[in-house]
Amino acid sequence: MAGLSSWFRIPEKFKILLILPVQIVMNFIAIIPFALTWYVGMTNWVPQLTIDWWRAQFIGPIAFVYAINDQIFLAAVARTLFIGAVVVPIEFLLGFLLAYVFLGKFIGRKFVTLVAVVPMMVVPAAGGYVFYLMFVESGPVNGLLQIFTGISISFLSNPTWALISIMLADIWQWTPFIFLIMSAALLSLPQEPINAAYVLGASKWYAFRRVIIPMLKRPMMIALLLRAIESLKIFDYPYMMTQGGPGYATQTITMNLYESGFKYLKYGKTATQSLIIFIACIIVAWYAVKPLRAAQRGE
Amino acid sequence: MDPRYEKIISSIIRYSFGLGVVFFALFPLYWMFTMSIKPFFEWSPSVVLWWPNNPTTLNYLQLFIPVETLAEWGLVNPATDPIIHDTATRAIMNSIIFSTFGTLLSVFIGTTAAYAMSRYRASGDYMFLTFRMLPPIAILMPIVIWFSTIRLLDSAIGMILLYGLFPVPFVIWLMRSFFDDLPREIDEAAIMDGCSPAMTFVRVVLPLVRGGLAVTALFIFILNWSDLIVALTISHRYAVTIPVQIGLFESDAGHMYGVMAALGCIAVIPTLAFGLAIQRYLVRGLTFGAVKG
Repeated sequence: MAGLSSWFRIPEKFKILLILPVQIVMNFIAIIPFALTWYVGMTNWVPQLTIDWWRAQFIGPIAFVYAINDQIFLAAVARTLFIGAVVVPIEFLLGFLLAYVFLGKFIGRKFVTLVAVVPMMVVPAAGGYVFYLMFVESGPVNGLLQIFTGISISFLSNPTWALISIMLADIWQWTPFIFLIMSAALLSLPQEPINAAYVLGASKWYAFRRVIIPMLKRPMMIALLLRAIESLKIFDYPYMMTQGGPGYATQTITMNLYESGFKYLKYGKTATQSLIIFIACIIVAWYAVKPLRAAQRGE
Repeated sequence: MDPRYEKIISSIIRYSFGLGVVFFALFPLYWMFTMSIKPFFEWSPSVVLWWPNNPTTLNYLQLFIPVETLAEWGLVNPATDPIIHDTATRAIMNSIIFSTFGTLLSVFIGTTAAYAMSRYRASGDYMFLTFRMLPPIAILMPIVIWFSTIRLLDSAIGMILLYGLFPVPFVIWLMRSFFDDLPREIDEAAIMDGCSPAMTFVRVVLPLVRGGLAVTALFIFILNWSDLIVALTISHRYAVTIPVQIGLFESDAGHMYGVMAALGCIAVIPTLAFGLAIQRYLVRGLTFGAVKG
């Protein structure tokens, strides 16, 4: 079979062969369902009616209007953006600060940097559950509050405190992410310009602001971007800690789509909303990959 | 300022930050572990118990041994003690099987594609990166509809396929950074010596990046093992994984704190072990090869 073995010998053919597996899987479980969603998104399909999706009533592009015109969904989008806007800067500053503080040589450095990354490696579902245990009425956070202030707060059933608890869990888990990236970036900085600045009489703060920060622009941008994008996906903590409650107080985008799709089985509407999120994220991601692309090329 | 004082002050700052980090990073894990060895009457006390007074392994036993057997042994009393009705063995087995085979699948399809992108200038790498930026739920809804049409919902095959697909962008970008680190002259020399492109890839290049392959595989395993949302939407009864199961344990007595914490501890062990093993490469993995630690 000369025809078959040529696939391994001719570079142009071998290239196609190499790409083939990923394309098969990609088409099978990403492209086909995506095309399907465009159709289902424009029907009012609810699987409880025991009809198949291709028999559901077609309502057309007006479905997008219905999907957008959903206060709970819009609130979840706004809330997710808000969580990201609060959590990401805190994680960034904290992670950067830790990376800077632990930079030089000191006894126990290895141990501290090792421990500092541990939260990131905890399975988020388990992490969410531990934070549930800690913020619950009989948990240790309330225990400490009792000792020092004598009051106790029902963190997870108060709308504001529930949101704060979830943010704290996210900060706990993802500050190490920034810490790791910034540590690596700080360690790989060339020392000559920094020493030169000191020789020329720059103060520590001046050297930090005018020499170190500009050299860290690329990794800072990458860390912030990746964290910002990941923060839009937040799901495990609200799911484990509050189930989106009390009421809708901690419902995020993912939580909202999960509930309306898989709990209330409004497939048609959820499909449309998924599409909207999908398109919005593609636009954001398109700009987000640019610095990654530049860093990969080593520019 | 006197440099000697500066040194003392900076080490005071360092060690106080160090202490803070150790406390805040480890306390939740301490709490989960102690909860997992507390007997049920210590789960939700009126005054916080900072350490277990009556340590027990019963929570772990309940995860693996059916409650009837435990009752026969006289370890639990189903009439009065809070119990779980199903063991977690299925979830644990599922997690191991899905994560392992999903990882193998994604490393296979991702590595070949990464090689094509590194050496043959195949396109598509940015499409995959963009794909990774999307929230999984936006893609899961279509997948659920599609899987319900072809009867793959709540099945092992469906889960393995998804665990093979979702991490592919990571595999492509990570492996590409390892292939790019390898001088092209090696490939060219092999071709000059009469190797076919396929032989060059399998016999020459792959053995040279086997370290990178191992790092990638462990990294992907962690991602798959940690997943909650995919398993939650695809599985109902049969294909549940550990993260899903943690959320499922409830009984007539309310939340099964100790048993859930025990399962949480089991869930954390592999990710901690593998994560620390590949710590040096975590930055590279998490930034898609953009920052090389």
